[in-house]
Amino acid sequence: MILRLIFNKKNYLKYIGHLDLMRLFHRSFGRADIPIKYSEGFNPHPKFSIANPLSLGIESDEEYMDLDLEEKIPVEEFMEKMNKVLPKDVQIIKGVYLEKEDSIASLIAWAYYEISFDIRENNSKEELENIFNQWLLKEEIIITRLRKKGKKKIEKEENIRSFIGNLLVKQVKEKEITIDVLLRSGGNGNLRPNDFIEAMNRDTNLNIDLDSIMMKRLSQYAEKDDNIYKPL
Amino acid sequence: MIDKKILDGILKKVEKPARYIGMEQNSVIKDLNNIKVKFAFSFPDVYEVGMSHLGLHILYNLINEEEDFVCERVFAPWIDMEEEMRKEKLPLYTLENKEEVKNFDFLGFTLQYEMSYTNILNILDLSNIPLLSKDRSDEDPFVIAGGPCAYNPEPIAEFVDFFVIGEGEEVTLEILNLYKRHKEGIWDREKFLKEVSQIEGIYVPRYYDVVYNEDNTIKEMLALDPEVPTIIKKRMIKDLDSMFSPEKMIVPFVETVHDRVSMEIFRGCTHGCRFCQAGMIYRPVREKSTDKIVELAERLIESTGYENVSLSSLSSCDYSELHLLITKLMERFEDKKVGVSLPSLRLDSSSIDVLKEIEKVRKSGLTFAPEAGSQRLRDVINKGITEDDLDNTVSYVFKEGWSTIKLYFMIGLPTETDEDVMGIRELAYKVKDMFFAMPKEERKGNLKVTASASCFVPKPFTPFQWMGQETIDEFYRKIYLVKNSIKDNKVTFNYHDPELSYLEAIIARGDRRVSKLILRAWEKGCKFDGWSEHFKYDSWLESMEELDIDGFFYAQRNRSLDEVLPWDFIRPGVSKDYLIREYKKSLEEQTTSDCREQCRGCGIVDCTMLGGGNK
Repeated sequence: MILRLIFNKKNYLKYIGHLDLMRLFHRSFGRADIPIKYSEGFNPHPKFSIANPLSLGIESDEEYMDLDLEEKIPVEEFMEKMNKVLPKDVQIIKGVYLEKEDSIASLIAWAYYEISFDIRENNSKEELENIFNQWLLKEEIIITRLRKKGKKKIEKEENIRSFIGNLLVKQVKEKEITIDVLLRSGGNGNLRPNDFIEAMNRDTNLNIDLDSIMMKRLSQYAEKDDNIYKPL
Repeated sequence: MIDKKILDGILKKVEKPARYIGMEQNSVIKDLNNIKVKFAFSFPDVYEVGMSHLGLHILYNLINEEEDFVCERVFAPWIDMEEEMRKEKLPLYTLENKEEVKNFDFLGFTLQYEMSYTNILNILDLSNIPLLSKDRSDEDPFVIAGGPCAYNPEPIAEFVDFFVIGEGEEVTLEILNLYKRHKEGIWDREKFLKEVSQIEGIYVPRYYDVVYNEDNTIKEMLALDPEVPTIIKKRMIKDLDSMFSPEKMIVPFVETVHDRVSMEIFRGCTHGCRFCQAGMIYRPVREKSTDKIVELAERLIESTGYENVSLSSLSSCDYSELHLLITKLMERFEDKKVGVSLPSLRLDSSSIDVLKEIEKVRKSGLTFAPEAGSQRLRDVINKGITEDDLDNTVSYVFKEGWSTIKLYFMIGLPTETDEDVMGIRELAYKVKDMFFAMPKEERKGNLKVTASASCFVPKPFTPFQWMGQETIDEFYRKIYLVKNSIKDNKVTFNYHDPELSYLEAIIARGDRRVSKLILRAWEKGCKFDGWSEHFKYDSWLESMEELDIDGFFYAQRNRSLDEVLPWDFIRPGVSKDYLIREYKKSLEEQTTSDCREQCRGCGIVDCTMLGGGNK
């Protein structure tokens, strides 16, 4: 019995790492008396997975989880019980029982972020849009990433241009800029928002104050036949 | 309240930021505007260590149950966090309301080990609170301290406004209530301190002066005010069942040292191991009833969602109805997949019975503490276990499928010879041989024997309080004697830094003059001394040299029995006569039986152990 959930992660709880979040949910299932399924074997563990782990320090309005239950309990009842034991800054927003579906981890292909940051000089919204459009006209945006291969760490160059989707200038308050941007996410290519911002800062002359960057994941999407859609 | 935007910026840069955010399940956030007395509780080490301390959870809930009081937590920020905080000028804050520590009425430290003392100074400094008691004013919180190391308060007497000696459950509320009354009347800091000094168990160092002899020993301690007591009696809870026990525990987001419910089952210990300070100062034994323990354990499991209950005490196998307790807990918890564990087991037959019960749920590694390698030396320290106990227990646990065994020892115990030291190797090898003596088809798992040796530190209020510590060179010689003799990949030998134990010995039996040493070492950048990667031995040596403080005098010197000791004015319950008797018996290699068998007249008043058994 697979229950797919959307939950959020806000305020100080954005500083809880992925493994800590998993433990928080595990304990909360116990406290809320949720009949969660355990894996077979010598060291049984609860069957649930959170798609596309969020980096430390990023808030989210929309995180996905698949959860395997021993028996079906009404979604409202489930949410009420869980939200009572979860911290107020991690709450379940929606839940749907699935028939036959691919796992959430394999579905997620894009993530939509809101990123705000301070730049050195005042720019109008039009000017900024122009700068970003120019940048995205390039066929290649190369970043180097450290890859672990066994014990060795090797630098690998990667063209991330195709990993960047829509980019929208949402708000400009003097030097304080907020953009929304769609980035590739998941197994078939992944662009972390930190790497994206770093590349953008490198290729434009905005001079972003790196300490001022705030990020939030707004939503996540699956992809089919060149269309993106929400997996719930 | 601190600037949260600055905090947000900092948290993005540091490791494990979840240590610094609070917000955990069962943490209590009150509106500080409606609070009469604000108490900041500090364990002077990093979050994960502090959060594993049971006393924190007790006091936190005890204080927060009172409507007028609040208790919030503050720990030592890790090196990277401290650096960022100093750079951004962000003062130290409590985890709950993110309020500056300086704005609290009390800052209370728990003293669990001496090598955390530099962290106390660092916490005061990061909170912008004057380091020395004499420099504080009404603008500052009262800095108070309690816990086992407070039984010798003198080495930090210059930093602490007053100490709480003994168990804190009752006296903490007495202090806060007194403070509330004074605040509601006409506030006079001096008057409050004078009145607080009248509460049993409270020591206010500023009302006393110490006079020294020419040879640097203490001549006498003088009370500077006729109203203050000349001896300080420890506080003790009489009945554990009616005492406050928390039904909730804060559940950290990050993994801590003990990720489980910690359930106290009794206080005190009857074995009388002569090196053990806790065994002396927490006397007499007082048990919680099985019904109370089961009830509390259930509530704690419910409120935390933990999957393991650890039955904690100084020697959990001694609980008089342990078998019944384990059976009851197992019945309640088995289908909830909740495990029960005992933190340390003695090597005797009773532990086998317990293992039979708890093994049903989980098989983890086992830890035993023979403490010394030879029977002769175990008699000297009165660790009442024999070679037979070890044989029986270990062969049993191997048959039952355990294969990871840890053995704890001390090096540098009084009267120790090379033969005794080599006994550590002999015991570790014996355990290995017992495993391979089993037929191949009966062996389960991969054998791993770990022998760990710490360097013995003589502690106040033990029969060894008069004894000099081994020199660092001797420690190393003995350590390598064992280390070089172990050549087997199934047996691992670990040891603690002798340098660290040397400093621990200086501070543990230090007097007021040692305050200066701790302050100087902190000024030279010492902090997190208990973490070997941060321990700056050279800075400590430099500080001693600059201040003309003789390490030998405090650590390695043998004291005569009539010397005035810095902690003599404190009454821990056990009498000095008893400690002297035990000291003499140890030198004659004579053991003293468990006080459940026969009363040894240790001096505890109203002990309920008379005639054997509890009550």
